[in-house]
Amino acid sequence: MTVGSLSRTSPVLIVDDDIDVRESFSDALESRGFTVLTASNGELALVLLRTLPSPPGVILLDLMMPVMDGYHFLEACRKDPALAEIPVAVISAGHAVDQSRLTNASLVLRKPLRAEALVGAVLELQSQTRRAG
Amino acid sequence: VTEVAPRARALLAEEQFRMLVESVRDYAIFLLDPRGHVQSWNEGARAIKGYEPEEIIGRHISVFYTPEARDAGRPQELLQLAVEQGRAEEEGWRVRRDGTRFWADVVITSAHDASGQLLGFTKVTRDLTDRRKMEEERLRLVQADEAVRLRDEFLSIASHELKTPLTALQLQLQMAHDSVQLIDDRQAMRLAKAMRAGDRLADLIEALLDVSRIATGKLTLNLEEMELADAVHEVADRVRDGVVRAGSELRINPNGMLRGRWDRLRVEQVMMNFLSNALKYAPGTPIEVTLSRDDKTAVVEVRDHGPGLPPEDLDRVFGRFERASDPGLGGLGLGLYITRQIAEAHGGSVTVRNETSGGACFTLRLPLL
Repeated sequence: MTVGSLSRTSPVLIVDDDIDVRESFSDALESRGFTVLTASNGELALVLLRTLPSPPGVILLDLMMPVMDGYHFLEACRKDPALAEIPVAVISAGHAVDQSRLTNASLVLRKPLRAEALVGAVLELQSQTRRAG
Repeated sequence: VTEVAPRARALLAEEQFRMLVESVRDYAIFLLDPRGHVQSWNEGARAIKGYEPEEIIGRHISVFYTPEARDAGRPQELLQLAVEQGRAEEEGWRVRRDGTRFWADVVITSAHDASGQLLGFTKVTRDLTDRRKMEEERLRLVQADEAVRLRDEFLSIASHELKTPLTALQLQLQMAHDSVQLIDDRQAMRLAKAMRAGDRLADLIEALLDVSRIATGKLTLNLEEMELADAVHEVADRVRDGVVRAGSELRINPNGMLRGRWDRLRVEQVMMNFLSNALKYAPGTPIEVTLSRDDKTAVVEVRDHGPGLPPEDLDRVFGRFERASDPGLGGLGLGLYITRQIAEAHGGSVTVRNETSGGACFTLRLPLL
């Protein structure tokens, strides 16, 4: 874990069923000073979110996942006041994204993407939280 | 008088009933003798089957059946069933006088005298062709919806399966590139090449998905009000490295505001395709992008100063799987096909011409607000 001047405040939660994607996102963010948590589907992410003493600052969310997909995860977050305010970036590899079901996602990005785009999305969402806070 | 009156009333009632039956237009109602020969003919029978009474009375009902049903002995079968059960009903194809077929609902009822002797049959036929066509049309629409649903499901899965590993690959290549960039130039260059190959792979996946989508229906557009020059500058930024590598120079001539309701990503895709083509086929020459207005149409021209297109290619470069004749230049030839579909889905067009002073000029036209 990175601390001190390099730390970019609260951790980033990566929710993606593909281990290579999770590790690549983690590598790209950790090498730039972010702290990262990961979950391999929506359900595990909810369990993690409800056990953490303090919520992550940002969630990066895949849409197509087994057990609980990104759409249902977003729905569950909307209904839970403790989670509803965490900013979410959807990062999808799908061809068609149902925008009507992404009302509480602040950003929608497409895979594949460059590290800059990934970091940019996290910084953008963090600044939204700061403005809102 | 007392004897005649009931009989006269009965005759009158019979006559009224006969006239009523004769005047019915929506149903063919007629009598058959015990062997199945036509005995009477009403207005509906004439309208549905096309025979005049004098042409058909005395002929066997098998003339109304298709040759296949006749050969299978269906007319006799139905009459036999009506004798045994009092009534026989079926829906099936029947043939009109002019040979055309119609979908009929047929009811044959047998008539017997007091001693049980068969007197003949009444036959009532309705033409259900329109209803059947509607049902077929409805079924066709249901099947078409299902095909679209299956297509979208396939595209979604194919897209996900192809792009997920590519995401990890691209990010790892980029991180490897970034970490050696300052210490090993040659390694960094190799990794940059690998990343560009990854970018091309990503573009090809998009193109293949687009073509599958177009092949089974129209492209769906996410329309928004936008400024054309914004899209052009956005794409120009993205190709900046490619312009430098090709030794080219990109000049953009925006001419005032050109606003329309377009799909931003799709418009950028067309521009990206035009510019990539110019870089690929006319490297080292200046590329000019000119925006203008032609009445209610926004016009973007991308002009290069390369060799131009062979004349035989001018008409076919926007076809599917076509590409300029030089096979050494690679590519699936999908890009321009997709640009045409995008333009047409917007109500616009794409065209290409060779300039007399040399070079090719690709034009995109889009309807303005």
